[in-house]
Amino acid sequence: MLQLTALPAGRLRRALTEPLLPVAALALLAVAAAALDATVLCWAAVGALAGFALSGSV
Amino acid sequence: MLFSPGWRAPIRQGEVLAVFSLGLVLGGTLSAGVVWLASGLVAPVPATARAALTVLVAAVAAAREAGLARLPLPQNARQIPQEVLMHRLRTGSLRFGFEMGTGVRTYVSASSPYVLALGLLLAHLSAPATLLAGVAFGAGRALSAALTYWARSRERDALIAARMTWVKNVTALSVLATASLLLLAS
Repeated sequence: MLQLTALPAGRLRRALTEPLLPVAALALLAVAAAALDATVLCWAAVGALAGFALSGSV
Repeated sequence: MLFSPGWRAPIRQGEVLAVFSLGLVLGGTLSAGVVWLASGLVAPVPATARAALTVLVAAVAAAREAGLARLPLPQNARQIPQEVLMHRLRTGSLRFGFEMGTGVRTYVSASSPYVLALGLLLAHLSAPATLLAGVAFGAGRALSAALTYWARSRERDALIAARMTWVKNVTALSVLATASLLLLAS
């Protein structure tokens, strides 16, 4: 029973912590903000993307 | 790795992550502040020319990430000494995060942070807007560490290594698209 409940939780955790997920979300946000001429939000999203692109060092 | 499973220190790993993340955000804010101060020097250049130069830099960065251009980037090719974490874990993590957050203290393995710095320099935004981008840079870097912590997986390093080419390429292309849209709007 424990195994039955633990397996989906592990899969869910793996899916939610997938490294490409934040990249896709932030990329969409940055492009949408640029298209809407929301410069401040756009550069904030680019900032987060640039920070995330340095993943893996810790 | 600081946030991988197998933690044995007397301080909770989540606490170290919080302090480390704070350091990253503070470091990013400091660097953004420096960029904002320098951005006044480019103010006399027409906005369209500055936006066009940002697109050019973003295009070169995207080409570099795609392997189409070989271009060495300036970086402080040194690791932050591990001794900063040896004695006082909380203050050490804060310092470690701060130094990493500045983006000038250690290796920079992607092109996008350079585009961000040059883009902010050339955009000459208001101080709060520039500082917000610096905060976001630190937060973006902290998110990576947080995901590693939440993943609780011993295979996390291998997964990140496998995804890094995609992460860098998608980021570089998004930044290029973003800069191009801002140029069209200018």
